[in-house]
Amino acid sequence: MAGDVEIREVAMTLHAQLPALQIVVPFMTAPLIVFFGKRETAWWLAFLSCSVSLVISYLLLMQVIGGGFISYQMGGWAPPLGIEYRIDAANGLILFLISLVATITMPFAYRSIQAEITRSHTLFYACLMLCFTGLMGMVITGDAFNVFVFLEVSSLSTYVLVAMGAERDKRALTAAFDYLILGTIGATFFVIGIGFLYMATGTLNMADLADRIQGQESSRTVRAGFAFIVVGLGLKAAMVPLHLWLPRAYTYAPSAVTVFLAATATKASIYVMLRFMFSVYQPEFVFHTNVLQILFIPLALLAMFGGSFVAVFQTDMKRMLAYSSIGQIGYMLLGIAMLNQSGVSATMVHMFNHGITKAVLFMGVGAFVLRAGSSFYDNIGGLGRKMPVTGAVIVIGGLSLIGIPGTAGFVSKWLLVQAAFENDMWPIALLIVLSSLLAVIYVWRVFEVIYLQAPNEWSEASDPPMTMLVPMIILAVACVYFGIFTDLSLGAAGTAAEALLNGSFGMAEPSLDTSALPLDVPHGAGDAGADATGGDH
Amino acid sequence: MIDVLPPFTLYLLGALLLPFLPKGHVRGLLTIVVPVVGAWWIWSAPEGLHGQMTWMGLEMVWMRVDKLAVVFGLVFSLAAFLAALYAWHLRDTVQQVATLLYAGSAIGAVFAGDLVTLFLFWEGTAIASVFLIWARRTEGAYATGMRYLVIQISSGVILLGGLVLQYHDTGSIAFEAMTLGSLGTWAIFLSFGIKCAFPLLHDWLQDAYPAATVTGTVVLSAFTTKLAVYALARGFPGTEILIYIGAVMALFPFVYALIENDLRRVMVYSLNIQLGYMVVGVGIGTELALNGAAAHAFTGILYKALLFMGLGAVLFRTGTAKASELGGLYKTMPVTMVLCVIGAASISAFPLFSGFISKSLILSAAAHEHHNIVWAMLLAASAGALIHTGIKIPYFAFFGADSGKRPKEAPAHMLLAMGLTAALCIGLGVFPSVLYDMLPYEVDYDVYTTTHVITQLQLLLFSALGFALLMKAGIFPMPQRSVTLSSDWTYRKAGPAVVWYVGLAVRASWRGTSGLIAKLYADFIKAMHASAGPDGARAANWPTGAMVMNIAILLGIVLVVIFVS
Amino acid sequence: MAQFKDDPEKLPWLGRKLMLFDDKKNVDRLVYGLYALCALLFLADFFYKKKYYISAENFPGFYALYGFFACVVLVLCAKVLRRFLMRDEGFYAPQDTESEDHPDHDLGKESHYD
Repeated sequence: MAGDVEIREVAMTLHAQLPALQIVVPFMTAPLIVFFGKRETAWWLAFLSCSVSLVISYLLLMQVIGGGFISYQMGGWAPPLGIEYRIDAANGLILFLISLVATITMPFAYRSIQAEITRSHTLFYACLMLCFTGLMGMVITGDAFNVFVFLEVSSLSTYVLVAMGAERDKRALTAAFDYLILGTIGATFFVIGIGFLYMATGTLNMADLADRIQGQESSRTVRAGFAFIVVGLGLKAAMVPLHLWLPRAYTYAPSAVTVFLAATATKASIYVMLRFMFSVYQPEFVFHTNVLQILFIPLALLAMFGGSFVAVFQTDMKRMLAYSSIGQIGYMLLGIAMLNQSGVSATMVHMFNHGITKAVLFMGVGAFVLRAGSSFYDNIGGLGRKMPVTGAVIVIGGLSLIGIPGTAGFVSKWLLVQAAFENDMWPIALLIVLSSLLAVIYVWRVFEVIYLQAPNEWSEASDPPMTMLVPMIILAVACVYFGIFTDLSLGAAGTAAEALLNGSFGMAEPSLDTSALPLDVPHGAGDAGADATGGDH
Repeated sequence: MIDVLPPFTLYLLGALLLPFLPKGHVRGLLTIVVPVVGAWWIWSAPEGLHGQMTWMGLEMVWMRVDKLAVVFGLVFSLAAFLAALYAWHLRDTVQQVATLLYAGSAIGAVFAGDLVTLFLFWEGTAIASVFLIWARRTEGAYATGMRYLVIQISSGVILLGGLVLQYHDTGSIAFEAMTLGSLGTWAIFLSFGIKCAFPLLHDWLQDAYPAATVTGTVVLSAFTTKLAVYALARGFPGTEILIYIGAVMALFPFVYALIENDLRRVMVYSLNIQLGYMVVGVGIGTELALNGAAAHAFTGILYKALLFMGLGAVLFRTGTAKASELGGLYKTMPVTMVLCVIGAASISAFPLFSGFISKSLILSAAAHEHHNIVWAMLLAASAGALIHTGIKIPYFAFFGADSGKRPKEAPAHMLLAMGLTAALCIGLGVFPSVLYDMLPYEVDYDVYTTTHVITQLQLLLFSALGFALLMKAGIFPMPQRSVTLSSDWTYRKAGPAVVWYVGLAVRASWRGTSGLIAKLYADFIKAMHASAGPDGARAANWPTGAMVMNIAILLGIVLVVIFVS
Repeated sequence: MAQFKDDPEKLPWLGRKLMLFDDKKNVDRLVYGLYALCALLFLADFFYKKKYYISAENFPGFYALYGFFACVVLVLCAKVLRRFLMRDEGFYAPQDTESEDHPDHDLGKESHYD
């Protein structure tokens, strides 16, 4: 049965190459799209490539969900010289989130983009694929400088994507410009930080960095590097007070872009921040420098309340959701600042849950924009009655955003409250609950607008076409599903939090036991020269 | 996994199905059938824990069946059935759906075996029930509903806080008897207390219930407060402080009941008083007392419903339930009058009526345990109940000064619902063992002793004598169009006035939710709006330079923090 | 009692029977009946052996007197407090249902004299 073995070998080879494929597939899709240059083909290519990425990320996540990590050496060059991809539960979950959202956004984008942009659809999809690749790359890589490269890939394409909203509203151009300036400053800070680290350690591989930083925690260079990295990534993550680019970018970008960015972009940055804080620097280092206690907690609270308060008063649903995102990022930062298992789990789960929740809501807005032409409360009054499915989906998303039990949003807030309790920070637990009440208000306002207001007499709005409806429904179901069945999200987050709080990016423990795989990995097989390092748990 | 479906699912299904049925009798029939099937479901459920599942590591129990839960579950089903029959004429989808969900949540809460499930249904009752108030569709009802909702939701939030603390302390979310002590148990206690309308936490009750629709008030009267009594009986039996809370509760609303003009509100004060008895029963905590609390909840739901139905019928026909506007209806609504008198006799605990067989249990329990002062207070409250409800309600609605109103008799379905309820009131009064057999503990109590019957008649008839003499002397306060101040004045008037005089007027839309808290909120919000609103500094589109400035400042701070540490 | 002369034809059966209370004398008879019943009940206390848990209960006519005085005292209290507690109906308006009419959509007004 030689053929059989061959197939299995090919399968195994592919299996071993999954980390590379995760990036290569979407990355290569971008030029392909441009090359074919047709709108239909472009969409199909993009969708297909996202789907493949989703499958890959799911396979990867399943391998690491129980613990351990996968190390993949690009081109067979061993780190610290070569670039290493390193996947554990933490980035596995985020990879899964990003590819999930991308895949589901694609069908939605098709009609939404047609309605909002008239020209250059192929370039749009190419850009979206680049942005997707960038985000995935940032998350998957285990090389500090590579993070910067992918960060720039995603950022540059994001600027373009945001600017594409200019057809609907010219202010998209200034929004994109602002984002460009600020994003570049953020990325520069980040790269300066890495520069400091390189100066102190002479390496760029994260695991290696982690090793070499030990013992020179008190060095000014290392510490300054930390400051630059945190501020740089904080900006990309829209941490208050560095969030000012976000509302405008989200508001004026085309709906589909907003869906994608809101669900993924800030999450990727927060993940990288987590990685640098806990894996490159150590949790002890972070603790001793008091950054969390003195900076993160107040800033997180400020975000939770400030963002929510602004959201309460918005008159444009899209902008309201953008400010709500700023508030929600506050919860994630707060989770990090708790510096315990529950807190970091809460952050991880909240990234995931909030990702899908916001995606649902922004899709709902996208549907409104499609039918009513804008997302101002004045224009979407009563639309919930005219568009029953869209309305229902927004209700579910809204409930999840508040954190009603039975929805995804509840799970993460519950964990966060637990984390505060574990640290005996009662006031913080109380503040989390209080700020959730603000979410009740701004979500209720939306319900009131879309259900209790009388719809325009002349309005003939109806639910959007199936291609938009189905993704919304899937995500709404996911909002409920992940609120009830928490094995996947909570499981991965728990493992991730444990690994992160152990520090050292898995240097201390051996990686995944590959002998558990159905076949022995043929060493050196495959043209990329993969090497999945073996060992026991 | 789930072996016995909790009855809530049935109500939920009914509520989901209802809007898709043709309007009219089919829908009415559905609202009647659901409680009947639900009751059978409860009746046939085997004792024990069912529907256990683990959710986020929490052991949830959707259906705990024991005698205490069953007796409440059954009476809730009965109340839902009677209310649905009474509302046969209703063509309002919102109210019908809300009623089903409300009754379903209340029943769900009764069978909740853990605090998280309890919390879910606790909030469910709050959210579903407010629509019965809003269904009146007036500005006043909207504001009242908002106030009601704020308080009910707060009760839920406090419960949530309490259960989190409790979980943190004990590592379990099981809903079992607790001892007051930790912050968590106090929070849970407070949350129950709000729903149970403890003194000074009670104003939402009088505020909201009379503001509901004709049929809505009947529904409301049955569930929320009795659910709270159940929760107390389950969570805090034998907690001494409840005895004193209950005693105060049983006595002080008397004054308000007497001077209140809106007869439906009089009934709510009276409801509050009856709750006081139950709370005392729970507080005493002996088997007799807990039986008494459960029995009193059972009979109370029925005769309250009967009286609310009677007054509802009057309101339905005349457009008002105010004592000052009514009177002399006995000739044109005689059947309603007779049925109301039966309800009044039940609530006053005349022998052979249902109130007698349940109230006696609580009074005896208080006497057996020698809580003499509490006993005396409850006795006085019994005498008072005759005056402010037993006599006042029928007297001012159907007799008294003739208002000149000559409404037609209530519609047949209302009479049928009232008739059934009245029959139950008398039936339970004549055959107490039917109810006693359902109670959580073995009943060894003979309610019809010579002493008991004679003393009770003495108490009641001499109170009636007092009323007659006071009327003759012209001392009895006659009804006037008015409202009565209570502690809600603090959040409905005083607070807002202060806020007003300080010059912090708020926008009209916020006035809707009113309340001191709401007003202060509104003020705060105005300030927030200035800074966070669409035109405020924090929502404005900042120039790029300013943002870069932010970055620089933050970097500076981070550096300082890191270097100093 | 009645300001209006009712037309017995328009009243339901039970209502016609109850017209006998239009005569003030019949009402008075009812009150006298109450007096008599009270007297009998008070006397009844001397003719059976009371079972009691609290010593005060054994005092003859305890329940009767307690009921009477409790009721009178409570009513007087209410009368006094009413001076302080009563406000005009529009006191809380417009946030109150008290000052507005019950909306007609919820009602089925029908009168015998329509």
